[in-house]
Amino acid sequence: MRENRYIHIVILSLLLALPAGVNSQEVPGPDENIPFLITFGRQGGETSWGDDDFSQTFFFTVPKDYKDPFYIRIYDPDIGGKTDELNNFWNTRMVYTIFGGKGCYTDPQAKGIDPSGNYKSGTMLATRTFGMDNKLDERWFTFGPFNPADGEYYPKFSSNVFKIICDGVSGDDGNLYRYALSRRSDANVPIEGANAFTYEYTFRMWNNNDTSFVSHIYPYIDSGCIYIRQRNFDWDNDGEFVVVSVERKGQSMPLSGEDQWVDDRMPILDAEIGKSLDFRFYKKRGDLVRNNNVVMTVENQYGENLQFFSAPIGGVPVYKPRITVRPKK
Amino acid sequence: MKRYITYTAVIFTVLLNCPSGIYGQAKGSFEVSPVSAISSGSDDMAPVILSDGILFCSNRKVNPFLTKKNLEGVRLYELYFAPFDENGEPGKPVRFSSNLGKDTNIGPASVSSDGKTIYFTRNYIVGRKVKKNESNKLGIFTATRNGSQLTDIQSFKYNDTASNLSYPYVSADGMYLFFCSDMPGTIGKYDIYMCENVDGKWTSPVNLGDKVNSADAEINPFLHSSGRLYFASDRAGGPGGLDIWFTTLALGSWTKPVVLDDPINSEADDFAFYAVQGNLEGYFASNRRKSNDDIFRFSNTIIRWSVCDTLRKNNYCYEFIEENALKNDTIDVRFRWEWNFGDGIKADGVTAEHCYSGPGVYDVSLDIVNLITGGIEKRQASYELAITDVEQPVIASPDKIMAGENLVLNAGDSYLPGMDIARYYWNFGDETVSSGLEVSKIYSLPGEYNIQLIVSSKPGAGGVVREVCVCKDIEVTPDGN
Repeated sequence: MRENRYIHIVILSLLLALPAGVNSQEVPGPDENIPFLITFGRQGGETSWGDDDFSQTFFFTVPKDYKDPFYIRIYDPDIGGKTDELNNFWNTRMVYTIFGGKGCYTDPQAKGIDPSGNYKSGTMLATRTFGMDNKLDERWFTFGPFNPADGEYYPKFSSNVFKIICDGVSGDDGNLYRYALSRRSDANVPIEGANAFTYEYTFRMWNNNDTSFVSHIYPYIDSGCIYIRQRNFDWDNDGEFVVVSVERKGQSMPLSGEDQWVDDRMPILDAEIGKSLDFRFYKKRGDLVRNNNVVMTVENQYGENLQFFSAPIGGVPVYKPRITVRPKK
Repeated sequence: MKRYITYTAVIFTVLLNCPSGIYGQAKGSFEVSPVSAISSGSDDMAPVILSDGILFCSNRKVNPFLTKKNLEGVRLYELYFAPFDENGEPGKPVRFSSNLGKDTNIGPASVSSDGKTIYFTRNYIVGRKVKKNESNKLGIFTATRNGSQLTDIQSFKYNDTASNLSYPYVSADGMYLFFCSDMPGTIGKYDIYMCENVDGKWTSPVNLGDKVNSADAEINPFLHSSGRLYFASDRAGGPGGLDIWFTTLALGSWTKPVVLDDPINSEADDFAFYAVQGNLEGYFASNRRKSNDDIFRFSNTIIRWSVCDTLRKNNYCYEFIEENALKNDTIDVRFRWEWNFGDGIKADGVTAEHCYSGPGVYDVSLDIVNLITGGIEKRQASYELAITDVEQPVIASPDKIMAGENLVLNAGDSYLPGMDIARYYWNFGDETVSSGLEVSKIYSLPGEYNIQLIVSSKPGAGGVVREVCVCKDIEVTPDGN
């Protein structure tokens, strides 16, 4: 087992270093076709808007060989204006906090999907609170520069890991935003080999009823995974959810209804180990569900949460049919 | 013809009217050669193959100074034995036994499988002159081998001095005794009869009936392990004189006799057919060379493969499987697999079946339709399917015909790429053959026949000739006649 584990670490390190990550430091990633992340203010504890815990944690991985300063940028960090979700009046405040150092990733509570306990583990490198701010509406705000060495080095990724938490500390509006990891403060210039991932993905679906607008998220299937259990929240039964892999054309999974969690298990095939799955979300063709905000998590048979990488490890999985032709007996 | 003179003048007259016959359908099936080692200037005939030599009868001189004659001065037949040499060839004959009778014809004979009992023909009157107006007909007798001696000579239970009983043949299993006679009830001049061994006793003789026995004479019955009863007859239908025929017991009755082809039968007298059990090779007698009877060896020259491929049907039907979808059981109503078989035909499903019209190269492709979006993902996988016919000679013919019906067999659909074909050789499964791309055959007898088609190439590099064989069963049903 130890040897297998070692091999797996090497493979994962190589995969993380693939050029596929070049453009991956935008969150959501370009392959995901997701318009925005979303976090609601926790006032009133209303989860039916599509956020189960009013907090979202993302991790950025910076390859160990990258020594230059870098930046973490946030698109539309404020809560108000054109791209956020208003509830009555703009009264929401969001706190973005960036962590590095020991435990920022490896602390067990950092990898959870609930903003509780020591989920703010590690060393705080930067923090800022945002409310309604027209100057930042639909604009980028930049944290940094950061020294890559200030992250927590994680050998399995051969990377330094940083964590950013967005907490909706007050109000009840929905904050729509994006992240980017960049070499520059004034533009999104990717760092080769960097990536981003989360264990619980809370995002906004497209506002259309065109099934060609397919959103994707890409959980990585680690070795030893026998089955996964996906859980999704508040999907409002908006369309179809199918899982695609190199050997799975499209296995249907259930989607949740309003303010509801739903879960399902799916056995993992040998060929899916060490690769990403493609969770595809097709919007409903008929009635338009507007401003649909949803949550997705996935865990293995041990209850360990699996990562969703913005740039899918091993690339976007493509199903390849395998034809056998044989004489009829 | 003289063989009848020996036994009965009645038969002699019959044989004077030897009709000219017809020739059979395939020549060259047998190779025939005289057995010089046992030939004499006298009549040699009725060969019987024993384990260590050939038993036959002859009226040859016993030695240069002695000719065996009866008291009336008629030259007599005696049994001789020619032992096999180390090569299996019959050597110099010696008199078989001196104590089977004196001043009488002895032979033809038959020997039981265990070699202990000999059934032989002999005149009833032995050791004395035949009185004036007294007939001395032939009967069947048995003798028991006791060491090197034959003793305990017994008259056959159904001997009758008023009738001739001769040409005994005991079957290999000892269950049947065939013989020929002009006893009352005889249909023609001389008929074949059969007794059955029940509890060690021979049942009353049964005439084989008018399908076997003609108005003429039938002699020299011999039952081969193939089930065929060979005999000689001077009936019409053969090449001439006595000819060798065979019949088969089918569904309790004997089939219409079939005459053997040349070179076994000739315009002369051909008779006393005796083959080894299992293979169709042995001996017969004929006077084709000169006026006296000689023993000839025959061997089967028919080509028949002991192992021949069964004709395989060309298969143009295929199963198409999308293994990943099938293996993972992830078939979902939200996707549809669409097969394009490359011949303009399509089918849906993770698995599909399709039969093509014939050989060819087909570009099989698989589209997947996303039923959620309506989008078609074209050619998600493809497969070049090359269908060829089975590399084999092909026998094109009906599977079933009636006896007497003309069966046409054609090898034109043979698929033997790279083979420069020199000959199509047909073995019809009844010891007849033919050659040619298309041949005709008429089966006289109902039954199941295994036809072999053997295709030979022209000599290639180094003179190598390639041969392939394929076989097919044909059912021949009774024609109702």
